[in-house]
Amino acid sequence: MSPLLPVLVLLGAAVIIVLVDPLMRGAGAREGGGVIAGIAFFLSLILLASQASAGNQASIYTIFGPESPLTASMKLDILSLYFSMIFCGVGLAAAVYSIRYMILERETGLDRYYPLLLTLIAGMVGVTVANDFFTLYVFWELMAISSYSLVSFRKWSWEAVEAGFKYLVMSTLGSLSALFGIALLYGLTGSLRFDVIRASVFSGGNPAATLSLAMIIIGFGVTAAVVPFHSWLPDAHPAAPTPISAVLSGVVIKTGVYAMLWSLFKVFTPLHYGFGAILMGLGVLTMTFANVVAVMQSDVKRFLAYSSIANIGYIVTGMGIAAYVLNRYPDQLSVAALALTGALFHILNHALGKGLSFLSVGCYIVRAESREISELEGIGAKMPMTTASLGIGLLNLAGVPPLSGFWSKLFIISAGLGIPSDALMFTITLIFVLNSILAAGYYLWFLQRIAFRKGSGEKHSRVREAPPLMLAPLIALASACILITIMLGPVLQFIQSALEVVIG
Amino acid sequence: MNLYELYFAGSLLLIVVGVYTLASKRNLVRMVIGLELITLGVNLTIATMGIRMVDGAVSIDALAQSMVAISIAIAAAIAALALSLAINIYRHYGTFDVRKLRRLRW
Repeated sequence: MSPLLPVLVLLGAAVIIVLVDPLMRGAGAREGGGVIAGIAFFLSLILLASQASAGNQASIYTIFGPESPLTASMKLDILSLYFSMIFCGVGLAAAVYSIRYMILERETGLDRYYPLLLTLIAGMVGVTVANDFFTLYVFWELMAISSYSLVSFRKWSWEAVEAGFKYLVMSTLGSLSALFGIALLYGLTGSLRFDVIRASVFSGGNPAATLSLAMIIIGFGVTAAVVPFHSWLPDAHPAAPTPISAVLSGVVIKTGVYAMLWSLFKVFTPLHYGFGAILMGLGVLTMTFANVVAVMQSDVKRFLAYSSIANIGYIVTGMGIAAYVLNRYPDQLSVAALALTGALFHILNHALGKGLSFLSVGCYIVRAESREISELEGIGAKMPMTTASLGIGLLNLAGVPPLSGFWSKLFIISAGLGIPSDALMFTITLIFVLNSILAAGYYLWFLQRIAFRKGSGEKHSRVREAPPLMLAPLIALASACILITIMLGPVLQFIQSALEVVIG
Repeated sequence: MNLYELYFAGSLLLIVVGVYTLASKRNLVRMVIGLELITLGVNLTIATMGIRMVDGAVSIDALAQSMVAISIAIAAAIAALALSLAINIYRHYGTFDVRKLRRLRW
């Protein structure tokens, strides 16, 4: 299967929605766009899953023309499959959820909404299958431009346009920083292909290569929302329509993590560049800052947005521990592998958990017409199905055993303690554990406020359970969380083979 | 100073001017212009990196040229989106001044 196929399915569906929208509008079918988008996401998910179950070997495809170091090329390995399956899965949940949500919220412009959602996910899948920086950059910008438009989709609200503009300026600066780093790499090696650059840039002493490494960490770090480059996220994610918040918080920031992971581990390689300590420092800073600020939030979507930043901190710390170990203790490969397994597994857990939490909270927001946590207190009793899904999502994020979120954090922590003589790693792990406890505390406290606190009775007297079409993706995501916990063995085996792509 | 270094110095100058514009101006349209200046600087960097000296003769790498062409197209899309957002902000507040907005803190 060509890696372009899932991308083309998504882009084709976007074009179809634009073309058939006048017909659907004439027939009064406002759900049409969502149905087409859902089918496209499902189709590409099936394509990717069949490829994954076939035991795919890493292979390289050119878009057209013969294979040469100059042509744009794509790859399809287990790592790309892993990431793009997460992206399409969350996209599918968001598309199905949007069908009812957008009608209940009386949103207009659905002929633009679904194509943008499709191009957003298509760009993300494209980033994961790119095999050179040129292709990566083009798909990266496809993703970025779609997400700017989606953040400012409610252009009648001051919040959305302001947050959209802020997001656009900061994220474009980040992309340009990464592009500058890529330009330097191209000047050093004369190629944009990952494997060619990897073969050329191996001596650690080159100042231009080090500068390019720094620009790339900053550039992709902006999209991954690593502190201090995070300040767009708490404004942009709440301003978007809720299904888009779920996609942005669940998977768009993971694209930044993927780009970082790939360019750091596969292009620069931790063996030659000691960026592990920097990543660990950034990760710890990110999680500590975000966890402390999250406690103080009164807006429920801002609260979840800050908790996304904190989770990026966990993932980046896991990557940092792996890079640090590979650089300092090259013989301790199992410790590095454990840390990366934790980081990759946490990407899946956070995508599911945060997507689930955002979509559940969206149901409350639709019914209660408020985003303040104090206004939503006690609403959970009126909407038991939504509350049950929110509970599973939050417990997964909090890392309550035996849910899968517990295992990914445990892997990172035990990798951090893997080399007892190293004081830096021990300190980092200690801060990680303290942060996890703080995060678990505020997730449970938040869940208790929503679900069990006796709110003022009349305030929510007219609140009903969310419509079935909005509940369906919630139930699907919640079952996915539980299913992953039950099938921990096979999932970890799949992640292990994705890991082999990264550190061989 | 050869041509290569001249181009590189020029592109760095464009980036510096763009960053300065972005940091010092408080008008939304001028901020978009600053962003575009940085984009131009980075594009010129890529084009410069495509210049190679082969046996004393200058050869231009087509890969860099095609990447710059696509990058310019992407920058145009971003500029169009940024300006349309600026228009929407103007409709809400009647001003292009960032300091007058309620929540934009940088």
